[in-house]
Amino acid sequence: MIKSIDEYLVLLKKELAGSDPAIIQDALSDSEEHLRIALDGAIADNPGTTETDALRSIIEKYGQPAEVAGAFMELEARIPIGLARPAQKHRRSLMSRFFGVIADPRAWGSFLYMLFSLATGIIYFTWAVTGMSLSASLLALIVGLPFVGLFLLSVRGIAFVEGRIVEALLGVRMPRRSLFSGHNPGWWGHFKSLVLEKRTWMALAYMVLQLPIGIIYFTLATFLVTVSLGFMVQPVLQLVFNLPMAHIDGVSYFTPGALMPLVILGGFILFIITMHLAKSVGKMHGALAKTMLVTE
Amino acid sequence: MSGTSTADKKFRKELNSGTAALVLLSVLGNATEPMYGYQIAKHIESDRHQVLMMKQGAFYPVLRSMEDSGLLESRVEPSVSGPPRRYYRITYAGHQTLGRWKEIWDQTKGFVDTILQGVSDDQEH
Repeated sequence: MIKSIDEYLVLLKKELAGSDPAIIQDALSDSEEHLRIALDGAIADNPGTTETDALRSIIEKYGQPAEVAGAFMELEARIPIGLARPAQKHRRSLMSRFFGVIADPRAWGSFLYMLFSLATGIIYFTWAVTGMSLSASLLALIVGLPFVGLFLLSVRGIAFVEGRIVEALLGVRMPRRSLFSGHNPGWWGHFKSLVLEKRTWMALAYMVLQLPIGIIYFTLATFLVTVSLGFMVQPVLQLVFNLPMAHIDGVSYFTPGALMPLVILGGFILFIITMHLAKSVGKMHGALAKTMLVTE
Repeated sequence: MSGTSTADKKFRKELNSGTAALVLLSVLGNATEPMYGYQIAKHIESDRHQVLMMKQGAFYPVLRSMEDSGLLESRVEPSVSGPPRRYYRITYAGHQTLGRWKEIWDQTKGFVDTILQGVSDDQEH
């Protein structure tokens, strides 16, 4: 016998244990939205009824936690995630796996993410550091508390948006609903949950961390791509414009004609390796984002 | 429904999992305004004065998967009382899909009806 919505949500979470944390978060917020609206409606229609009685008939229609959990897990398995396609099952040769990365949306998504991460990193870091220092200094005044509340709220919003970017580009399942907690707990209740919940602080740490990470990603991605593109076009530039391979201390170094195909091939292979690296970075960063931004 | 056997439940569940998307898409296809999950559930309930074919909790993952495939779009709006609500609206692609699904449904229904009719005719002879 379920006596409250919170109890229902706890049971639902238990049923979903072991599933993707993002699915759990979605199922919880969908269920909470439905049950709260239904309960408010039932109590407004029959003021005499108790919460437990009203909930019994609502859950009868909505489904027991086990049924709802089953529906979510079953359908979730069929949903394509962002750019990512289900990994191909059949075995491919080593060569086609090596060169096939050039047609892999995950590799390109990760590569784009590496480029974007510098910009988002700067924005997140600036926002986080400015917010934290202003919060600390304003806490001495009465306006401090509302400011801290608004700042932490913005952190949660940014964490949600970052989750959407990560899912679209890296193909890692992230929450599709922002989770609201508690039923109209009032300003003070909202504030307390913002301050006390671990994920607010994890998201803040992620925002700060994103700057050094973004610098590394961006530098790696641009450096490797520039070098590989350089190798690929250098022989052409040398033949057409007589541009040297390198110019050191007044001495120009040219690529010998026989080595030109090798230089082009080398540049191409470096580019493929870069895409493989981008793909692994994407995988790693997806895991990091999931750990820091999604909590059950 | 206390007499429902496991086999009946399983049969109903299998039927529902195929038709839920059609039902939800058609509700949103006929709606003039975006609707949130509870509203859709209420609408289906009030339209049919009979036992609800499927649990309302199973609507939500279906709505979500249709949104992911571009048949629906949604936005979250805060409400005066209670949690924010997610409003769903059918897309152009959703309308087109709904048209095709209706045809498929009519074909399936016609086919199953013909077979069932045949079964009862055979029994009468």
